Amino acid sequence: MANAWKIARRSNVQLPLILVVALAVVLVLLGKAQGTLFDKMRAHATDTVAPVLEKVRVPVAGFGRWMGSITEIFSVYQENLRLKDENARLRQWRNVAIVLQGRVGRYQALLHAVPDPQMNRVLARVIGRANRPFLQTMILDAGRGNHVLPGQAVMDARGMIGRIYLTGNRTSWVILLTDLNSRIPVTIASSSGKVGNIQAMMTGDNRAQPSLEMVSRTVTLHAGDQVTSSGDGGLLPAGLPIGTVVADGSDGWRVALLADAASSQDVEVLNFSKPPEALPASAQLPAEAAGLKPQAPPPPAPVASATPAPTAPAPKPKPPVAVSDQALPPPAEAEEMDR
Amino acid sequence: MVTLERTIVPARFRTLTAVVPMLCGLAGVIVANIPISILGGLVPPPLLALAPIYFWCLVRPDLMTPAVTFTIGFAEDVLSGGPPGIWTLAFVLTYALVARQRDSFAGLSGLAAVLGFAAAATIACCVAYTAVAALAFLSGTHFPPMAPILGELAMTVLFYAPSTLVVSWLHHKLVGASRGDV
Repeated sequence: MANAWKIARRSNVQLPLILVVALAVVLVLLGKAQGTLFDKMRAHATDTVAPVLEKVRVPVAGFGRWMGSITEIFSVYQENLRLKDENARLRQWRNVAIVLQGRVGRYQALLHAVPDPQMNRVLARVIGRANRPFLQTMILDAGRGNHVLPGQAVMDARGMIGRIYLTGNRTSWVILLTDLNSRIPVTIASSSGKVGNIQAMMTGDNRAQPSLEMVSRTVTLHAGDQVTSSGDGGLLPAGLPIGTVVADGSDGWRVALLADAASSQDVEVLNFSKPPEALPASAQLPAEAAGLKPQAPPPPAPVASATPAPTAPAPKPKPPVAVSDQALPPPAEAEEMDR
Repeated sequence: MVTLERTIVPARFRTLTAVVPMLCGLAGVIVANIPISILGGLVPPPLLALAPIYFWCLVRPDLMTPAVTFTIGFAEDVLSGGPPGIWTLAFVLTYALVARQRDSFAGLSGLAAVLGFAAAATIACCVAYTAVAALAFLSGTHFPPMAPILGELAMTVLFYAPSTLVVSWLHHKLVGASRGDV
């Protein structure tokens, strides 16, 4: 093949080549200093091709399902047994959850707890995925026009998938939890119940299971411990389900993610902005709600006095009980689901 | 030093034919970066733009210039979403090395030609991985795993034969004559 090629030569190639190599090195350094160098171009390009991607997505997804069904047909029996077993265990957990939900509701009523702020959710469809060596991302069909902003959490029905990192007018890019650049502060709830919650940093390294770092050496993790977002830094809401702890075989720990970014088709973008904490009204203070006598008001200042009398500081209210906003279905609805 | 130019192409089409290598490279970038995978993202997409760069760097370096290679690499960087400048640097350095050994690469045929391209693709992937690893080292983050870049290398080599068939056909139809025509 190559022998049939015509070979042309140029004698003046070397000089521009050196310049171009130098320019490429400068581009890398510039990209290091300004990581969002190409973001506008990328967002514009994605916005432009979004209608085409939406058209192509349906047949490609259908083909993917067809390919998947070919391979899954050999494991249908085993899969059926596994699902039946899992379903039985989930029914038990659902009953426990219903009881706990009622108990939490009573505690909230007793404490006059301030409910968590409701988060706006934007439903988006996945119109593209990129699995490049240095970037794992997905593209959603919702952008700034739908009030999607960089930093917001992206969830599927099972758990957190990643965060928005680039938004166009109609599309947005998601940096997956498994991506090399992903770092999420998490809380690990011990499954044994012997120790309290453990704070750690979950970092992606382009493997299927992100690693756990900055775990204190005094604590011991166990496989199966639940990992949720900690909410530290105020960028993400606390308590978003992420996954479970698994050992990585080399004295470290990783997180088996609940969400499956490769198969998710519809996701939710959580519009979370941490509101300033407001003090509850005096009649709703936890001490009064618990039946204690309210503190006596200070005596009125004499009329002649020019300066107001110092008042006793109000008792500092306890922080509100954190309750996940993912409410379980009411018992009646749950019974219907049973049927 | 000899320059063999095609004499069959009319003068008014020369400008058009001169941009065919660049358009092929950009088309390869666009096709490779369509964010849809029929295999569910199991394998990374190939570097389709590398085949036109390699082909015309050997056959018509006057059309596949360093500046054109830079443009194709820049487009790859923009559309692939990775760290800025990585593929630009990788493509340009690969071009430089292939251009220096042009006679050796152009003399290959059959399986040896595939191995020649595999060497070029290996250079590109090594440069890209080294650059990203250096950036990760500077940032204090994880080094990227080797498996995805090796997968991309394998896919790029696997797609070399069909890519070259298309590029070679376009070359004969639009750009220039083969050695046999001269």
